[in-house]
Amino acid sequence: MAAQDSGPNTAEEEEDDYMNMIIEEPTQPKQKETYTQRRLRKQRESEARGRVKSKAELALEEAAQREDSLSKSLLEDPETAAKNKGLAMMAKMGFKPGVALGSKENKDARLEPVGISMKEDRGGIGLDSEKKRKFREEHEKEGKRVKAEQVDYRERMRMEREEARLESQVAAAMRVAERMDGEKEEQDAFCAGGSQDEESKETKRKMPTKPLRQINVLWRGLVQRREEKERDRRMRYDLHQSLSRLPTYEDPDEDKDDKRALGTHVVRHSLVEDLEEEDPELDAFNGLDPADRLDKLVRHLRQEYNYCFWCKSAYPDETMEDCPGLTEEEHD
Amino acid sequence: MADRRSELDLPKAKRAKLAESDPASNPYLAHMYEEDVGYGNGYGSRNGNKNGRFEQTGLSNFQRHASTAAQAHTAEDGPGNPFNNVPLSNQYFNILKTRRDLPVHKQRQEFLDMFQKSQILVFVGETGSGKTTQIPQFVLFDDLPHFNNKLVACTQPRRVAAMSVAQRVANEMDVKLGEEVGYSIRFEDVTGPKTVLKYMTDGMLLREAMHDHNLTRYSCIILDEAHERTLATDILMGLLKEVALRRPDLKIVIMSATLDAQKFQRYFNDAPLLAVPGRTHPVEIFYTPEPERDYVEAALRTVLQIHATEPEGDILLFLTGEEEIEDACRKITLEADEMIREADAGPLKVYPLYGTLPPHQQQKIFEPAPPPARKGGRPGRKVIVGTNIAETSLTIDGIVYVVDPGFSKQKVYNPRIRVESLLVSPISKASAQQRAGRAGRTRPGKCFRLYTEAAFKKELIEQTHPEILRSNLANTVLELKKLGIDDLVHFDLMDPPAPETLMRALEELNYLACLDDDGDLTTLGKLASEFPLDPALAVMLISSPEFYCSNEILSLTALLSVPQIFVRPASAKKRADEMKDLFAHPDGDHLTMLNVYHAFKSQAATSDPKKWCHEHFLSLRALQSADNVRSQLKRIMEKSELELVSTDFNDKNYYTNIRRALVAGFFMQVAKKDPTGKTYKTVKDDQSVLLHPSTVLGVDSDWVLYNEFVLTTKNYVRSVTSVKPEWLLDIAPTYYDLSTFKAGEIRSALQKTMDKVKRKQATKRTR
Repeated sequence: MAAQDSGPNTAEEEEDDYMNMIIEEPTQPKQKETYTQRRLRKQRESEARGRVKSKAELALEEAAQREDSLSKSLLEDPETAAKNKGLAMMAKMGFKPGVALGSKENKDARLEPVGISMKEDRGGIGLDSEKKRKFREEHEKEGKRVKAEQVDYRERMRMEREEARLESQVAAAMRVAERMDGEKEEQDAFCAGGSQDEESKETKRKMPTKPLRQINVLWRGLVQRREEKERDRRMRYDLHQSLSRLPTYEDPDEDKDDKRALGTHVVRHSLVEDLEEEDPELDAFNGLDPADRLDKLVRHLRQEYNYCFWCKSAYPDETMEDCPGLTEEEHD
Repeated sequence: MADRRSELDLPKAKRAKLAESDPASNPYLAHMYEEDVGYGNGYGSRNGNKNGRFEQTGLSNFQRHASTAAQAHTAEDGPGNPFNNVPLSNQYFNILKTRRDLPVHKQRQEFLDMFQKSQILVFVGETGSGKTTQIPQFVLFDDLPHFNNKLVACTQPRRVAAMSVAQRVANEMDVKLGEEVGYSIRFEDVTGPKTVLKYMTDGMLLREAMHDHNLTRYSCIILDEAHERTLATDILMGLLKEVALRRPDLKIVIMSATLDAQKFQRYFNDAPLLAVPGRTHPVEIFYTPEPERDYVEAALRTVLQIHATEPEGDILLFLTGEEEIEDACRKITLEADEMIREADAGPLKVYPLYGTLPPHQQQKIFEPAPPPARKGGRPGRKVIVGTNIAETSLTIDGIVYVVDPGFSKQKVYNPRIRVESLLVSPISKASAQQRAGRAGRTRPGKCFRLYTEAAFKKELIEQTHPEILRSNLANTVLELKKLGIDDLVHFDLMDPPAPETLMRALEELNYLACLDDDGDLTTLGKLASEFPLDPALAVMLISSPEFYCSNEILSLTALLSVPQIFVRPASAKKRADEMKDLFAHPDGDHLTMLNVYHAFKSQAATSDPKKWCHEHFLSLRALQSADNVRSQLKRIMEKSELELVSTDFNDKNYYTNIRRALVAGFFMQVAKKDPTGKTYKTVKDDQSVLLHPSTVLGVDSDWVLYNEFVLTTKNYVRSVTSVKPEWLLDIAPTYYDLSTFKAGEIRSALQKTMDKVKRKQATKRTR
């Protein structure tokens, strides 16, 4: 016994005995606990044992134990049932487990003892169940709200991203349309007169003199935004140039030269006359979904220029043979 | 007569020691010797019933079981008392007039028809119908028990009811209480040889049945308030069902106040049923819109609101226990005084009502409401704050408002953890209706239920569980065995308990050696059943002479059978505790109680016991009743030839002997301290318990014996005394057979003790 107990030594001794042909089976599939591990485990265990439990913990334990005992039938526990002399006496009187006491005709006879429920406070009847019900409802409501919000949030984010993507595509399509339109006009003008030099072409492109109303509504927004930006830029620039004085301030004593010297001569910033005017057509177009606007633009480009926005290329004829279709998905 | 004689011979084997003493001196058997003892006084002889030489009375021409209401009416009209021919008084005729106004009176003939036709009759009459006082008299006029040397018995669940109803009926019949009409309750028998009608507690009738299995003394047995379903009533019903078969001449009337009477009908093989409406007024019921956070506070608020806003009429508030009631009474009085001062409310009188209240204080509830404070002022009102004894048993006129928080303190028992305890529990729907009905006795009333209507419908059970389902049945099983019922499994009870409850009871009685392994009564068991005590107490008392301390154990048993002897008013807790410390014994509460009793019997106390008790914060009433119980038990001990001995007080074993004697009865109620902390674990059931704060235990004891397991939010053991494990092994070896213990701390501790004892014995032997 002692040799067996002495652990690692025995293994060494047995190793010396090379005549012994017993093949040992691998008996240690489990990893051995290291010294530190054991020490820690022991420490933990003793701490758990030694700790003085709080009153609340004790009460909880008591209640748990009580509930545990209350829920177990004495007849079902084979150990108590076998040893119980009371049960043996009852068996002699003809008792069978699972059958109630009393007359056979008595259908209401109980098999289980009456339960015990502890009242711990002065809460009125129905308070506990009301509390439980409220808690449950609250819980359910909370759960629903969180869930609904989650769905909402994800959807909203997705929609927002989608919208932003579409808007950028719309803007891109607008730029394409404007460029193409401009090229076409130039070509038309070139074909018509061809007298305009490069420089004038440049300026024309940069500073359209066309009133906004005459620009195709499809990309009018783009032009409008650009114009507005340009105007704001100039106004800011003018403000910086002027001598610290509000541009709107009119000194009646100043003459034209003064004004020039001070840089307060009235500059008309609007490059297009009707920039400030109401534009119901544009508003209606901008009111459309970005997807619809994009669709309109794509169709316009195809119709007018045999250009597919998705393929990013112009086709030689209006059949546009190699283009898979109208929508982005078709180009995936 | 002859067969009654043989009846006497039959149970000889069962009467063990008692039978050896003169059976004639046994009060339970007195009726069997009536002929020898009082032949000259009984009706039998005076009326000469055997020879047909009747003294002419109003009943002389009556045909037994063939009389009519009209005949009875004439006989009642006198001029002589139909039972003793004494001229009837004016008071009699006054009462007679009101009696004839009672609802039951209208159905007298109907009742007689049914009574005569069938052996068992179920009678339903709501409170106020007059059934408790009138039906037994109807029976007397038809059953004519005095012509056959028999009696009519009417059982009541409560002692007070038995006494007061007997007094009332004696007045109604114009006889002296204790003569034609008497009562019999535990420790008090007010009957005589002329008695024809006996009111008694159901427990008393059961004890009589233990000695006279066929209840031969009675020609008719009326079980009143059967709806209350006390343990004794349930057992009696089971017994009567059997007796009815053996005695076709015995008439049985089951009286109930509730509509659940069909259940009684079914149980008694479809016995006929007669229902009499009560005299009640409609009661309007109010529910709260929301459940209450604090039912006591809500109750107080409601009572004060009724006082402030509702018209004249008294209030009945139901609460759960003495402490709660006293506290509520104090608070209501305080608040009402303020209302009177500041809001000119009418005067308000508050009366408590609970079982342990002294009778003269209980009587106070019948005092009329106070008059207005000044002429033309707002009317006065009385408030009764009571437990559920105000629910059915006591009839208080003038109640118009009932406040019902929906709780009562109920006994609960569960065999799985072997705990019998009083717990505050929700009442049943039937109970709630009964409470509401209290408001409609004098005029239409109102009932304020302090719970929602939904809670009433969903949370309350239909009927209160009968006591038999909520009790430890050890005592009942002992009684049933004594009643000659051997097959307890198939004994036809109306609501048979769970099998586990019976199993526990049999097991406990076996450990106490009251039943042998075959389930038959042992000599000790027969002896124990003579005592009106729980088997553990009885066994402790019977074995006490072996420990040379039967005098002391007798006192202790009496002290444990009465309500709490220590008084600890909320206003003087500290002072009360200091006083208790004067009596404290380091070994525990039992010895402390014994010290109190000895001091109570000493010179210093007997000169003015009232003052002495008051000064020492002790309940005079409890101590006096302990004294009374002690003398009753002493009588039974003497009759059973149990020696009354004491160890010399100066002997060092004086207290040890008493503690050892305690173990002889209470070895099943022992707990061992946990190695960590303050908690104890009950032996075998492994329930964690704490010592009750009231406990005096000067020494840090590993093993304690307890009298009571109290269930609250914490588990407490109350009335605790320290014991030694050696005693457990020595005195109760069967229970402390280590092989029956689960492996664990308690088992190993006992094992250690056992080894120690063995070693000691071994060394002794070698020496």
